[in-house]
Amino acid sequence: MSRFIQIHTLTSYPPANLNRDDLGRPKTAMMGGVERLRVSSQSLKRHWRTSDLFQEALRGHLGTRTKDIGVRVRQSLVEKGVTAKNAEQWASDIAGVFGKVEKGKVTTQQLVFISPEEWKAIDTLSQTLADKNRQPSDEEKKSLLKKSTAVDIALFGRMLADSSNFNVEAACQVAHAISVHGVTVEDDYFTAVDDLNSEHDDRGAAHIGETGFASAVFYNYVCIDRQSLLDHLDDDEALANKAIAALTEAIATVSPKGKQNSFGSYAYASYMMIEIGNKQPRSLSASFLSPIKSDFLPAAIQALEKQVEHFDSVYGPCAEQRRSFNAVSGEGNLQSVVELATQS
Amino acid sequence: MQCLIFRLYGAMASWGSTAIGSVRPTRSAPSRSAVLGLLAAALGIRRDQEEQLARLNRSVAITIKCESEGNLLRDYHTAQVPGTDKKAIWPHRKAELENTHKGVNTILSTRDYRTDGHWLVAITLREDTDCTLEAIRDALDEPVFPLYLGRKSCPLSAPLHPVVSEVESIYEALSEYEYPIAHQAVVEAVLYSQTVGYEWEDGVSIGLSPQETSERWDEPTSRLRWQFDKRLVHSARLERKE
Repeated sequence: MSRFIQIHTLTSYPPANLNRDDLGRPKTAMMGGVERLRVSSQSLKRHWRTSDLFQEALRGHLGTRTKDIGVRVRQSLVEKGVTAKNAEQWASDIAGVFGKVEKGKVTTQQLVFISPEEWKAIDTLSQTLADKNRQPSDEEKKSLLKKSTAVDIALFGRMLADSSNFNVEAACQVAHAISVHGVTVEDDYFTAVDDLNSEHDDRGAAHIGETGFASAVFYNYVCIDRQSLLDHLDDDEALANKAIAALTEAIATVSPKGKQNSFGSYAYASYMMIEIGNKQPRSLSASFLSPIKSDFLPAAIQALEKQVEHFDSVYGPCAEQRRSFNAVSGEGNLQSVVELATQS
Repeated sequence: MQCLIFRLYGAMASWGSTAIGSVRPTRSAPSRSAVLGLLAAALGIRRDQEEQLARLNRSVAITIKCESEGNLLRDYHTAQVPGTDKKAIWPHRKAELENTHKGVNTILSTRDYRTDGHWLVAITLREDTDCTLEAIRDALDEPVFPLYLGRKSCPLSAPLHPVVSEVESIYEALSEYEYPIAHQAVVEAVLYSQTVGYEWEDGVSIGLSPQETSERWDEPTSRLRWQFDKRLVHSARLERKE
């Protein structure tokens, strides 16, 4: 198995303001001493994670939201021959692990979130209680809370300062997307007219404002640590592959949503290259250390491929296998690239 | 003396120093804790394996050569957090975010990065050690976990190219280490600034006399509790020789 899956993409956006700073202007960064447009890693991850495409892949691996854990436990205990009074008490004990239980009832006050593993643990515990006819111990109650194996948490990690044993180290590394060429952020001075002001003497604009924008070809880099992902997902190979495929497709097709109502700059990747292997992963941002000056997309693709060869020839092969698609020349396709990413 | 040298370069890097609240500054060169973290990730030591981390920490002495400090980049960062709800016990954040009735709040933070930064790291072994430089070199070539420059969003943009050799002086060895990064050699000038900075630790002689000695709180004592100890750092800045 190859431990690392590296995904390099080039995506061309028309004028847009995808990711803003505190002044509402597009984020930028210096690279090679020249100002570039930037979309932060956080912004990219959030839009991939919340995309329909990604949610679709998560289906079945999401938990359920319910107030009725206690109701279900009580019913199952009664069916197993526990007395009504005990069933009521133990069901409320178990529900109490997940949320505050309403007085005199077994339902929780709030909707709570139960993962499939947690349902399984609850069922096992109720069987034990019915068999031995005793109340659940504190130990047993505590063991009901499971680390979730939700795909998005496995990929993007979780940090809880208060309860660090539920922390998950992200299995995926996402760099800030940086434009392959130098960029000057432009200003759009805009006015909005009041449609009903024909009665007034003052026919001026009702609102004026200014928006920064720029267009760019972005280089984006993602590295997935396949082994860590498998570890987080309890070695469920099929689920890990599903997650990798969904992420790869999201990277190719999902755009950040910033100011999309004003700019409508949704874009698909024009070029994607996947590398798999065990060698130290490295991004190919050095391809664009010298900013691309003209003919952006074809020149960027050429620079990227040159950089791959350059690293290989100086430092030895950096990957075991590579596959790419190029939407400018029409070579390759997303499907075959995803296939390489998901093979073990 | 045996010495392991490797290169740190990425489009963006962040070398955290003392951070309070929402301001997360970066130093201009990697801290000792950052380099140790990188080595530990390569060797496959997890954050909660305190004993192995302490052993690695005892084993290595670190010298930094700053080829280019790069520029400061200040990132405006927002994150959504749910309001606190004492009636519910949440097993994880996803559940908390999905079920909140009080709406989500936003936390702002200011995160600093260096762009166009380029550093060399020289590792020498201390007397109290049970690891070898060859083992560290091999781990850097084929790491267990993905490596990054201080923040996970700052991947390496070139091979580390770790080299183990027998050297007279660490300073000389660092001066001789030069390997290409970009496919067009001319553009690399931006990664080598006019002045070169060196930082090394007390008790190590690298072949330069210190111009300044300062205290720094970047000796990790516990990764889990995020505690750091104080150490002495010697530094010098020289004009780059052509």
